[in-house]
Amino acid sequence: MIEVEQLSKLYGSTPAIQDVTFSVEAGEILGFLGPNGAGKTTTMRILTGYLPATSGTARIAGFDVHEDSMAVRKRIGYLPETPPLYGDMTVEGFLHFVARIKGVAAGDRSKRVELAMRRCNILEKRQVLIRKLSKGFRQRVGIAQAIVHDPPAIILDEPTVGLDPRQIIEVRNLIKSLAGDHTIILSTHILPEVSMTCSRVAIINRGRVVATNTPEQLMAQLAGGSGYELEVEGDTAALAARLHRLPGIRTVEIGSGEGLPKSRSQVRLTLEPGMDPGREIAATVVGSGLGLYEMRRVRVSLEDVFLELTTEEKAMDGSTAAPSSDANNTDAAPDSPGGEAA
Amino acid sequence: MNSIKTIIANVIAIYRRELQSYFASPFAYIIAGVFWLLSGFFFVAILMGPEGLIAQAALRDQMGITTPPVDVAYQFLSYFLGILGSLALFILPMLSMGLYAEERKRGTLELLATSPLTNWVVALGKLLGVVTFFLTMVLPLLIYQAIALSAANPPAPITVMLLGHAGLILMAAAILSLGMFISSLTDSTILAAILTFGLILLLWVVDLVATSIGGGLGDALGHLSLIKNYTTLTQGILDTSSLIVFLSYILLGIFLTAQSIEAFRFQRS
Repeated sequence: MIEVEQLSKLYGSTPAIQDVTFSVEAGEILGFLGPNGAGKTTTMRILTGYLPATSGTARIAGFDVHEDSMAVRKRIGYLPETPPLYGDMTVEGFLHFVARIKGVAAGDRSKRVELAMRRCNILEKRQVLIRKLSKGFRQRVGIAQAIVHDPPAIILDEPTVGLDPRQIIEVRNLIKSLAGDHTIILSTHILPEVSMTCSRVAIINRGRVVATNTPEQLMAQLAGGSGYELEVEGDTAALAARLHRLPGIRTVEIGSGEGLPKSRSQVRLTLEPGMDPGREIAATVVGSGLGLYEMRRVRVSLEDVFLELTTEEKAMDGSTAAPSSDANNTDAAPDSPGGEAA
Repeated sequence: MNSIKTIIANVIAIYRRELQSYFASPFAYIIAGVFWLLSGFFFVAILMGPEGLIAQAALRDQMGITTPPVDVAYQFLSYFLGILGSLALFILPMLSMGLYAEERKRGTLELLATSPLTNWVVALGKLLGVVTFFLTMVLPLLIYQAIALSAANPPAPITVMLLGHAGLILMAAAILSLGMFISSLTDSTILAAILTFGLILLLWVVDLVATSIGGGLGDALGHLSLIKNYTTLTQGILDTSSLIVFLSYILLGIFLTAQSIEAFRFQRS
């Protein structure tokens, strides 16, 4: 449905995105995950035809976003980071206007507007001036204008930013309900958001897509995190407890590795982000009277990206999130996606 | 065929939204109110003031001067339209300042730019909207002029009246079109208004500059003057070259607006 190949965009000589490549199948929700300034908005603006790419191609429903811009524009719904709303119009009047400029046939307009309002749950506000709406309702009107012409592809730039937790849940449910009929790309810098709404995730950092996968697999990769793999010989009964006492150790897993002699075991350690107690680990193993045959660093390339991501819902409004608590939450959040209720 | 229909439908969609936003804006009513107040004041002053045209004509009658005969209605029209033109100079930048600057500030330009509309369709629809609003500001004036002039003897020159007001609308459209272009360059409405005012003041007096330069260049510059071409029309002279000058300004404004929006999208960082 959406194919992006080797897309690059330079502002002057500064690259905003470089060689961005990904594709989205029909009916999928792709989460575009990355820290602020990673190039999410730039990529989306290129997809919608708002900005031209410096090089590379992007196709939506088979049409090139640059060559066949008008054909693409008819087939996409787009919610920019700030919802594009006219405060002096009523919700219904505005949606009629959007339906008209998006080329919805005159006979279908009322039906489409009605449907969009029902889906976004704004029917009771239909005659209200948009400038009198609360932030949450504005966001829903923003989504309604993106779906009013029933486009095959919907592009949402940070659809939940600035909403309160209850509104966030509503908007996410709304987006999920749109999948299937529509292909959706949404961008976010909130890690748990993708696991809750998206069927696939593309992680973008400093203008490059660094990983594309399902949320589950990415979380697993993240949970594996950065750590060490050790091969030790001897009685490991007391080792786990000792290792746990070291600073920066998150999990310790001791098992009989495949193809290892019976006397040897394999130890997998995962570390707290930003901690690297390699020296202490080795000292502890040796100090326990065990033989250390192998000690290997296991590095996950995504770690840097995840450190910059907002990993907890409450940190969004947030000045209070200290770096240390943020780091601790990196591992906590994926395990408890329901934590947003707090 | 179908595409022409789509284009017209799109222009109408933009036009209606633009017009609706003027009628929903208290600011637009204030501008209209001030315009009506001032034009009404000048109407009374020119016609019935102590130094007004009626007083002057009465004085001439008393002194027994009959030649040359005075056509009060004609004189009134050219004075009054001249005043309206000067008022428009101040009013029009305030009408055009928000055309694009507001869209840029609100982020709605992104909606228009990602909808299946070409830039010039948007520009044309917006211009038609603001010109229509100015037309609704001028129409009430026509009514009281018609009432006053119906009493004139010799009868009021109806063609001068119509042509003069058509000239006013045409000149307004030219100014609004250029103002729209300036509005598309910035997201500050105040800056757009000031720059537009500066530009049309320049075009207003360019014939003064032209006279001082003289020669071919001066002649060419003189033709660009808004006031010169406007005065031609308010005197009841249907001069094709004046019409062409105003139409050129209108088209130039639309063209530059479309170009500037394109450039804005391509260069933004």
